[in-house]
Amino acid sequence: MPVGYSIYVDRPSYIHHRLDPRTKLAALGAAFVLALAFNHPAVLGGLVVLVLVAGRVAQVGWRSMAPFLAGSVWFIILGVLIWPLYVRSGAPLYAIAGQTITVDGLLFGLAMGLRVALMVTAAGVWMMTTSPQKLTVGLLHLGLPYKAGVAMTAAIRFVPLLNAERATIAEAQQARALDLRKGSPLSRAVKSVAIIGPLFIRAIDVAQGLAVAMDARGFGVRDGRTSIVELRLTGVDRMVMLALLAASLLGIALRLLGIGLISRDYL
Amino acid sequence: MEPADDVAIRVRDLRFRYPGATRDALAGLSLDVCRGEFLGITGPSGAGKSTLCLCLKGLVPAGEFSGSVSVAGQTLAPGSAYVESSALVFQNPETQIIGLTVAEDLAFGPENLRRDPAWIRAAIPVYLDQVRLAGYQDVDTYRLSGGQKQRLAIADALILEPEILILDEPTSELDPIGKDQFFEVLERLRRERSITVIMVEHAAEQLAAMADRVIVMQHGLVVDQGPPDQLYRNPVLFHHPEAERAPQISEVLFELLQAGLLPASQFTAQEEAGIQRLRALLENSVQSVAQRV
Amino acid sequence: MSESAAALDITDLVFRYASGVADVLRGVNLRIDHGEFVALIGQNGAGKTTLAKHFNGLLKPSSGSVRVMGRDTRAAPVADLARAVGYVYQNPDHQIFAQRVRAEAAFGPRNLGLSPSEVEQRVERALALVGLREHADDFAFSLGRGQRQKLAVASVLAMEPRILVVDEPTTGLDQAGARGILDLLSTWNVEGRTIVVITHDMTLVAERIPRTVVVNDGLILADGPTRHVLTDASLLRKAYLRPPQVTRVAQRLGDLGVAPDVLTVAELYRQIAARMGPS
Repeated sequence: MPVGYSIYVDRPSYIHHRLDPRTKLAALGAAFVLALAFNHPAVLGGLVVLVLVAGRVAQVGWRSMAPFLAGSVWFIILGVLIWPLYVRSGAPLYAIAGQTITVDGLLFGLAMGLRVALMVTAAGVWMMTTSPQKLTVGLLHLGLPYKAGVAMTAAIRFVPLLNAERATIAEAQQARALDLRKGSPLSRAVKSVAIIGPLFIRAIDVAQGLAVAMDARGFGVRDGRTSIVELRLTGVDRMVMLALLAASLLGIALRLLGIGLISRDYL
Repeated sequence: MEPADDVAIRVRDLRFRYPGATRDALAGLSLDVCRGEFLGITGPSGAGKSTLCLCLKGLVPAGEFSGSVSVAGQTLAPGSAYVESSALVFQNPETQIIGLTVAEDLAFGPENLRRDPAWIRAAIPVYLDQVRLAGYQDVDTYRLSGGQKQRLAIADALILEPEILILDEPTSELDPIGKDQFFEVLERLRRERSITVIMVEHAAEQLAAMADRVIVMQHGLVVDQGPPDQLYRNPVLFHHPEAERAPQISEVLFELLQAGLLPASQFTAQEEAGIQRLRALLENSVQSVAQRV
Repeated sequence: MSESAAALDITDLVFRYASGVADVLRGVNLRIDHGEFVALIGQNGAGKTTLAKHFNGLLKPSSGSVRVMGRDTRAAPVADLARAVGYVYQNPDHQIFAQRVRAEAAFGPRNLGLSPSEVEQRVERALALVGLREHADDFAFSLGRGQRQKLAVASVLAMEPRILVVDEPTTGLDQAGARGILDLLSTWNVEGRTIVVITHDMTLVAERIPRTVVVNDGLILADGPTRHVLTDASLLRKAYLRPPQVTRVAQRLGDLGVAPDVLTVAELYRQIAARMGPS
């Protein structure tokens, strides 16, 4: 859970400040399309490297990107263990408990893990380079209704607050001898009502207070809102989006041609 | 009271009851507030102070409403148009702050009113300076202390350029430093502009120091009002164990008044003036003892 | 738990959060005996709440020791220490969740594993003490803020702890409400319980609480009778605090014979009236 509002970290990089958030959103989309288009570990691995390079260009630290990769290792292990039981094509390597494990099976499993790594790392780098404020305005330009935009910002605003409330409530109830460590899972779930109940009410209270404060500052009084954040799609943005579109289409085309795949039978 | 066009707010027989309530929150309240006046409001919980503040901002809650409220010439009623001439600062630092950064929060109000972004961007540092938060534009709002959030809330209200600033127990959740800094900012504001201020506060010493006039509300009505130096003499509303909080200096002077040791004209609710009156009292008695001897 | 031991015995307490960069408490020594009534004052961030959370084991020392009635808090789970130390949070809405007042007050004692009849007795006593007996069958959330505060106090009192820690009990309350809570605490204290109150309200401390501990920058700046601590303006200034108005006024009249350690309106009045002599 982030301590602040998001994991966005401001850096004086081109990607942070010159690229429009819509472009960055397109980049995320393209990353996902390409992740799904290919299932060869070399291709996917190469794309992961590309994402990491983009992160470094944006001056995002290795230490910030590492947790996303680390989380994916688990999926790689799972992939390599499970997928060979389904993908049987290619040269056989060895047999376990009557099942034949093939090279293709292992490579496919690795590719699945790398796919997760790619999507997760791309999402992480994207979040670290896109400020929530600019993103919201970008979405507004894409047609998001302005009230939804404010709702998004308000939701982000209140995550740390409600997190802190939950912690306080848990402490206050612990001080009344509530012990969440003891007892069966069912009884512990029942005991959690003592935390969820007040949290729910607090969340409603906060929401109500917020609604009144927003009304007091004229929310909804005019048709639409202006914004101090001004976005403009520059030539660079258009070029990048074009390149991303081209890459996505190329990816789909290669997929249909069977290039960059271990197996045509599976996604 | 000054002539009619100097009245910023006029309330007549304002009656309001929340849905399902057994009694009125506001029970036929009448009040005039002059332009440029600093009005203090005090009274026990449940007196209707917060309800009154909401009504003066045109945020009449759902419920039974009757009577008339006019704010800077605009008549208010449930469902009437947004009131631009007054702005409200609430008690809770957390729920008033909406933006993720200080600048975003300050911009929220003007953005709602579709003000020109260039104007807003230029106004932000000006208002931050007024509330002693200069340079805080890009700070994440969760990093602010309670006191800083409340000062930001004043800026949020002022950037809407209201004629009337309404504050509902703005310091009750703040620590002593937070309170002091908040009142300092308010004091400076008062000196530098002719904005009308209405403040609900239990901090009697500060209220007495800043307000031109204080009203006491109970059970949805105004039960007494006057300049602090007069109002805080009321023996029914103050100066007994079940009473509302009065500045301690006024409590001491009241006791002396009751004992016949202080002339009524010397009563005050201000700390400095009170100290001077007490000094005069003690010096005179030293003199008269010396004379007798 | 040893009877001869102090209620709270804190030695060289140093504390920092797991993710923290600096020590929040930098070597606190504090001893509170049974039956004491103590105010803990200081600015937000000075460490007073962090200190208080060590009293019932919510926080464990990074170094140094905290003993509750002789028992080291590091070795005891919070749920266990809750028997001896009650902690009332500032906002009653952080605790209230049961439907009816009675059930809410019963939550704590039930967690202690007491028999239903014992729980019922304690709930009755606690509700009577705070004056919520007539509301025992009402919905907890139908009560006003001041009454919910009392309910939160009652819910903790129903556990009948020997030590009570109360965090900012008068915030958001009007004068009548604040007086009510202090009366309640004074009554509880007179019955022999130890009470620690965290508060910003200097006037209430001056009038009602005999011992004051000032926390500043992670250390105890002052600890002693309220009459000495709260009237020492230069000391309080170091903690960014000020004495109550009546004390400030009295100290400005020092050259005319008024004592500098005046704490209440009544005291100042008497001082002045005495100096004015018979008319």
